[in-house]
Order: sequence, then C-alpha cells, then structure tokens
Amino acid sequence: MFQRSRHRHAAVAAGVLALTLGIAACGSDGETEAEDLDGNRVGAMESYGVGDQFTATEALSFSLLYNNHPNYQIDKEWMFWDELTERTNVSLETVEVPLSDYEQKRGLLIGAGDAPFIIPKTYPGQEAAYVSSGAILPISDYVDLMPHFQDKVAKWNLQGDIDSLRQQDGKYYLLPGLHEDVWTDYTIAVRTDILAELGLEEPATWDEFREMLRAMKAAYPDVYPMSDRWSIPTPLGALQNIIGPSYGYDTMGGWGYQNASFNREAQEFVFTGTMPEYKEMVEFLHSLVAEGLFDPESVTQDDDTAIQKLATGKSFVISTNAQTLVNDYRPALAQNNPNATIAKITRPDSPVGSVKAGSRLENGIMISSKARESENFVAMMQFIDWLWYSDEGQEFAKWGVEGVTYTKDADGKWILDSDIDFIGINPDASKHLQKDFGFSNGVFAYGGTTELLQSTFSEEELKFQEAMGQKETLPVSPPRPFTEEEREQATLWETPLKDYVQQQTLQFILGQRDLSEWDAYVAEVEGKNAQQYIDLVNGAYQRYQEEHG
Amino acid sequence: MVTVDASRKLFQPTRRRPRRPDDTRGYRIFRAVNGIILTGVVIITLYPFANIVARSLSDEGYIRSGQVNIIPRGFNLDTYRLVMSDSMFWTNYRNTIVYTVTATVISIVLTTCYAYVLSKKDLKGRSALVGIAVFTMFFSGGLIPNYVLITSLGLKNSIWAIVLPNAINVFNLLVMKAFFESLPTELEEAAAVDGLNTYGILWRIVIPLSKAIIATMVLFYAVSFWNSWFTAFLYMDRSELFPVTVYLRNLIAGATTATSTGSSSDSLAQAAANIQAVTIILTVLPIIMVYPFIQRYFVSGIMLGAVKG
Repeated sequence: MFQRSRHRHAAVAAGVLALTLGIAACGSDGETEAEDLDGNRVGAMESYGVGDQFTATEALSFSLLYNNHPNYQIDKEWMFWDELTERTNVSLETVEVPLSDYEQKRGLLIGAGDAPFIIPKTYPGQEAAYVSSGAILPISDYVDLMPHFQDKVAKWNLQGDIDSLRQQDGKYYLLPGLHEDVWTDYTIAVRTDILAELGLEEPATWDEFREMLRAMKAAYPDVYPMSDRWSIPTPLGALQNIIGPSYGYDTMGGWGYQNASFNREAQEFVFTGTMPEYKEMVEFLHSLVAEGLFDPESVTQDDDTAIQKLATGKSFVISTNAQTLVNDYRPALAQNNPNATIAKITRPDSPVGSVKAGSRLENGIMISSKARESENFVAMMQFIDWLWYSDEGQEFAKWGVEGVTYTKDADGKWILDSDIDFIGINPDASKHLQKDFGFSNGVFAYGGTTELLQSTFSEEELKFQEAMGQKETLPVSPPRPFTEEEREQATLWETPLKDYVQQQTLQFILGQRDLSEWDAYVAEVEGKNAQQYIDLVNGAYQRYQEEHG
Repeated sequence: MVTVDASRKLFQPTRRRPRRPDDTRGYRIFRAVNGIILTGVVIITLYPFANIVARSLSDEGYIRSGQVNIIPRGFNLDTYRLVMSDSMFWTNYRNTIVYTVTATVISIVLTTCYAYVLSKKDLKGRSALVGIAVFTMFFSGGLIPNYVLITSLGLKNSIWAIVLPNAINVFNLLVMKAFFESLPTELEEAAAVDGLNTYGILWRIVIPLSKAIIATMVLFYAVSFWNSWFTAFLYMDRSELFPVTVYLRNLIAGATTATSTGSSSDSLAQAAANIQAVTIILTVLPIIMVYPFIQRYFVSGIMLGAVKG
C-alpha cells in the first residue's frame, strides 16, 4: 500500500496499452441496464444476505486471473480449491500469471479482450487506465448484489474511502479490499541496546527523536546515528512517508507524495510541496543532516549498504517494516554483534498532535465487462461477496478449515495446527499453510477486521499496532476525478512539479541550498504551474461535489 | 646431408614465427599493457559470476550482512537440495529443454531453406522475398495484435506459440544467406550435371560445406530460446507450461517485492537470498557448458558470412 507510485507507473503504461484498443471496445459496450438482471440469475441464490453462506444452486465455474506467488506456487491439489467448491458449488478456472509481470499480462489480456471475469490484485488507481475502454465493469452499479461488502462499508464508515475511487462519471470500477482501521507497518527501528546503554527512552515526538540521535552522537562521535534505506527510486522514500502522515497528510513526502493535499480547514486542495507542514518536515530533516546525526549518503545508497552499516555498528537507526526487522536486520546484526537488539518504535508525533493518516483500502478486484453478459453474473457477484467480503469467507481464505488447519480457543483466537507452519509460528512443522494448503494466499486473503489482520502478528508487532491504534485516524481526501482533457493537462504538469519538489527537497535537506531561499523556491514552483494545477484540482473537486456530493 | 638441409629450409618458415622487424620494446610494452587491461576485463566479467557461485554455497546470514564476495562463507548445500526438491522447478526445466531443442531444430531447418533460396541470384522475385523478411526487422504488428493472432490461431498454451512466431530470425537469415552466396556456384553446377536435383544439392553438397555456419546458428538460436521468457509468459496460462526462465524471474521478483512492499500478507515468507543464486547457477550452467564445444565453429562461422556479405 506504500508502493502506490510504482503501481501507478505500471498503470500508466497499461493505460497506454488499453487506450489503443479502447476505440474498438467502446462501440460494442453501449448502454448497460443495471437493473435488468433477469437473464443473469442462473445459479444465484434467491435470498442472500449478511451472514448467509453462499452456495450456487448449480455447479458453476468462473475464470480468474491468478497472481502466482513464487513462494507458494499454485497447486491444484490444495485443500483450498476442493473446500471452496464444496462450500460454494463454484470452481475457479485460473489463468496463471507470474507475480513478476502480473500487471503487464493483465493489461495485455484486457486490451486484447481476452481477460478472465475476475481480475484480482489490482491496486486502487490502477483501474483508471482501463475505464475509458469500457472493458471493465462499473462495479458501483452492482454492489447491491453484495450484502457483505455493503455491510462492511457501512459498519466501518468506509464510504469516504470508497468515494476516493470514483471516476469522473461518478462510478467506481474497483472492488477494493477493506480494512477496519488504517494499518501502519512502516516505522523507524532503533538499536534498543544502545538506548539502554545511554539510558534513553523511546522518543514520542520528532523533537525527542532528534534528542535521541544527539545523545547517540555524543556517545559515539564517529558514527552517523541514522543511516537510512529505501532511497531508490525515491530518495528517502520511506522516511519522508513515515514523517508525512504524522502531520495528518498521507500525500506528504516520499513514496506517498502527491502534488495536491486537502486542507480540511479551508475545505480545498493546496499544493503539497509548499505547505508550512512540508517546510517543517524539510527543516527537521535538514537539522539532522546539519548536526551530523543523519548519514547524507542515505539519499543515494542502496538497501544492502544501509543494512551493512547497521549490521557493522556504523549506524543505530533505520527505517523498517515488520518483515525487514525480522528478516534483514536481526540476522545481519546477529552475525556481527550477538548482543545487539533492535526493535520498532511507535511512529513519533508531529506538533500537529497524535494523528495518523492513510487509506483503509487494499488491492482489490476488477470485473471484466463481459461477465455482465453471463447468465451466471448474479451468482458470480454473490460468490465474490462471500469469499472476499464475508467474515466466514475471509476467515476461510486466511486460516483454512476449522479442526483441520486451525482451531479456536475459548477467546475466539485462531490457533494454527501444530504440524503446520506459517510465518514462523511453528518453525519445525512438516507442512506449510500457504505451500501445502493454499490458504493465506494473497489473491484471496487480505483486508478484514483488525482482529483477523492481527491474528498472525507476533507479540511485539501487536504492541506496535496497539500503540499506533491509539492515534487518531484522519479522514481521507475527498474525490476529485478529472475529465479526459483535464487528466491530459494535469499529467503534463504533475511530473515536472513532483520531480522539482523532490529534487529541491533533497537540496534543502542536504544543505546544498539554504533554507533562507525557501520563498524563492516557492516562487519557482509557482513558475511551474503549481497554481494552475491546484485550480484544476479544486475545479474537479467542486464539480464532483455539485454533481455527486 | 643435402636432403636434411633442404627439408629444414622447407619447414623453417612454417614452424618458427617469422621475426617481425617492428617487434620492438615499445610493442612488447604495448602487449603487456594490453594483457593487463584484458585480464582486468576478465576479472570484471567473472566477478559477478564468482559472486553468485559463492552466494549459492553460503549461509544466508553472511549474505545478508554483506560478507560474501568470491569465497563462500558458512558453506552448505542445503539450498541446492531445497531448489532441486521443488517439482515445479524441474517441470519448468524440462519445458525449457523441450522448447529449446524443438525451436532450434525448426529454426535451423527453416532458416537454412529460406537463406539458401535467397542466395540464388537468378531467382525471380528474390528481392521481394528478401523485402518480406527485412520488413519484419523494422516493423512489428505490436503486442496486442500479435496476441490476438496467436490466440485465434489456437496456438495459446501450446509449444507452437513459442516455437513458430520466432522461428526465423532475420539477422541470422541474412548472415546465412551471405554465407551461401559465397559458396562457388561451380560446385552446385557440377552436382547438377552429375544428376542431383535441388534438394540433393542442398542436402549433399551445400549443407556438408556449411557446418561452421550451421553450428553458429545453432548456438545463436539455442541461447536465445534458452534465455527467452517473454513469449512463454504471454501465451501460457498455466505454470506447468512455463520455461525455467519465467520461474527464475518470478522467484527473484518475489524476493525483491517481499522486502520493498512488505505490507501484503502474502509476502511475509521471503525467498532466501541464496535461493536466487542457486537457481541462477542451475539455469545458466547447461548453456555455458555448450559454449566450449561450439566455440571453434563460432569464430570462423560468423566471420565467414559477415566478411563476404
């Protein structure tokens, strides 16, 4: 979910592909009657509501684009397939695509009119490329067939997040994965043995964070206390994206940078790279570099170099997520310094307060327009609703079959069978939940309740999640879909603006440009059509409010 | 005595290298510098390969902390055992061999026939035939039209989708055509006088004389089919039909996305760093072993066509 920019590039590429065939596909589509589903109910359940088990009234089969993960290669013998058919009377015909090039094949199949009905693993934003071709179904017209989906949107107050998916016609084309709460994974990892040695507390704010680095620098004058990773392709991509949301903007900095941010007081979009909060972040990072607390090589070095510096005691602090902590840092440290310990810290707070921002939408499903013509269309929507959005379906996809792959204790906690391993829960087990059974498969299992999401988390990760859960979640930015022409114009402005902001940000941080020149920088950004761009965004925002708000 | 002297004089020029007048000190220095530079190039080229070999034999912890260069640390063969125990790896490996062999045979037959025809200068419509081939070097139908074509021909999910669309490489075709043009026409005329028809001439006269160029083309085609992944990726919908290159590509991508996205639950189990190295070794080994056997043809073969083109 933090890799949106990368996915977006792929989406743009796929979009070019899709557009070339768009003309051909448009003509045949015409007007679809959303209500007239009489001919499409074969196999569907008469009454299907929240809490119901979906079972097709006759054996059905749907085609599915399958993202084949190398760590658990698809296997037709998996219990998942048999059990799914037993419960729902549906079997899936998979078109298997290697994870490495999933997006390319997806674009090709959609462009060639050969796409399977169900197209999962599509990240919010990627669907936009296919909208104009008419090859993808405007799914918002059919969500009334999906009681569990609607129930979760209402119960978790997700309508605002869903609205952010709406295209210019007011419809949305992607069924996203839904999270109960914003899930924060990335944060800063700190050598806790150094903290203990220097008698330091875990920092709660960015100011305290800087104090911590200063104390480390005082004790170890020869090291840069922090040397960071994830700088390729976006320099300081992770770090800025960890700081940005602490100011309440998920659009601010690093991977998540977007030119327009929504100012809630003024109820309008403003240019991100010149906001006062953005300047504060730049000043903060600059102070770290200026005081020798932050390794300036961080902006260009690759991940391995950063890990080696950490492992060899040349730095103590680095960005992390749950996996890299366990898979990268701890093994590397253990090799060099058995006494070293490292752990995640709760994301420090900004002067704005203890807040977090982010989307609660996961990657999701597109439906091929051709599916609408199928006599089994309604049954398919009910099937998707059950497997991906009902509590039972999500539990099944993640944990498997009760009594076989897992049991539940008195508190309703999931306990994996002792002979089955998954992310190191039972490291000596002979079988693996993903490889041997096909559960916890990224194609089918994501999103859901916080309880389900955290059911596989380690103790220390749960503590981190709990601390992050204390922070107030700010609402997402409202939708501002462009028209075709506006999008074309916006694309011309967006990339130069973004590149310039990121480049100048680095210069300010590294001290190559003095912060006293900030006003000059703001003027330069204006010269690159920042105001015109923001006017365009606000125009789209207001138009959407009038038409659909 | 006289005969001995004579023979010595006869053999001398061929046995001893003639002493060149410009074999000066400067020239010797030049050669030494040359040798040093080329040794450097060899080291630079071999280093990544040696590094991969060392990684494949090392313990993961040492790899992650960046301590493995060209000597394996924490030597073990566990990863080899692990990769070799994955049945999909062997299925895909077998596919690669089948695809490569079939595709190379078909390509050689078609390229030889086409090139031989094109080498006949008195053939009517020859320039049109050359034009058809060369046209495809500069213009292609594009990804989606190609996909639609292959699909509607019913070739999807079959070996023919990989073999047929790439059967003739125009560059190889032109090299071969140039080679055939360099063969003396008198040979073929003599064969015709002796009663051979066109196919007999091609099979009994031309091909035996063309071993060098054919060996070169076999190498070109075999290497390109062995390494190719894109066509298989486009036209195959089931993993058991993929060649090992797609398997390898996916494996490496799995390992990298796991560390960079990190947020999706499916990537929590991460492919070990040395699994990549092991798979790379196992994949490139056979094709590397082919080189020494074909190399002597390789140099002379490609030169033959090129110079006289």
